[in-house]
Amino acid sequence: MTIRPVQETDTTYAAPYDSIWTSQEVPVQPPDALERTMLAQDKLYVVLAVVLIIWIGLAAFVLRTDRKIDRLERKVDARISDEAPPE
Amino acid sequence: MPASGKTYRRIRNLVLAWLTLVALGGFLLDIPRINILEHTARNLYFHVPMWFTMMAAFFVSAWRSGQYLSTRDALRDTQALEAARVGAAFGVLGLATGIVWARFTWYVGQDIWWNFDPKQTMAAVQLLIYGAYFTLRSSVEEPEKRARVAAAYNLFAAACVPFLLYVLPRQMESLHPGAEGNPAFSDITHPTMRVVFYAAVLGFIGLFWVFYRQRVRLALLKKRIDDASGP
Repeated sequence: MTIRPVQETDTTYAAPYDSIWTSQEVPVQPPDALERTMLAQDKLYVVLAVVLIIWIGLAAFVLRTDRKIDRLERKVDARISDEAPPE
Repeated sequence: MPASGKTYRRIRNLVLAWLTLVALGGFLLDIPRINILEHTARNLYFHVPMWFTMMAAFFVSAWRSGQYLSTRDALRDTQALEAARVGAAFGVLGLATGIVWARFTWYVGQDIWWNFDPKQTMAAVQLLIYGAYFTLRSSVEEPEKRARVAAAYNLFAAACVPFLLYVLPRQMESLHPGAEGNPAFSDITHPTMRVVFYAAVLGFIGLFWVFYRQRVRLALLKKRIDDASGP
């Protein structure tokens, strides 16, 4: 990565530390490919992205719970066979 | 219950992948734009399967209760309870999503969240009937008596489902599709939407099954620990 010195003369576009202040005009770029996709259909795809993130999180939760139950079952199996041998 | 082995894991993974595809299909496939509904028609894929899943769960629960009454096997009672719990959770989600959907379609511009629409009211009554099932359970101390009373009540609760969710709302004036004067699902739904809808119903019923299996395993585990550390 190369670090470029801040262009002090170009105050309209790249301000120091790259911050944009309210008094300055916000640079507006033409929509890139990602934006063109996500903003189509009244921005419906943004909702899809949110729903998918939530769903993947919940699915991971289901898998983790299963693994915890597995571990607990093995632990109880081991402990009960240790403590109380079958009659 | 046999230890959850390969079959459980296979079905679980299939359900999780399946529902991911349903979400993708539900958002990406084009749908006809209908007045008032607009994009909210896509709620068909998520709101309606909650109810189908609840009914499937309550059916499983009643089935297990019936098995309990004929075998007196405590496992059946545990299964009935856990199926009812997961079913009620899906019912609450169905009611909540229905309230939101209705607010921005039926009651748009009126700032109404709840207007005692027969379909919604009957669904809420149905959930209360299952709420009483859980309360009833906690009020009986003796395990065998509790299981017996709960199983009998559970059969009554399940018998209410078709009347409260289908028969009664269809005889009253309701804004809900399928009610008096409103076309039912089959008359108005685009073929593409039907495919996604049925896939969603299958997927969510599968998700119920995953939760149900998890909870039954946990309940059995708790019982074993209690029995081992008991007197």
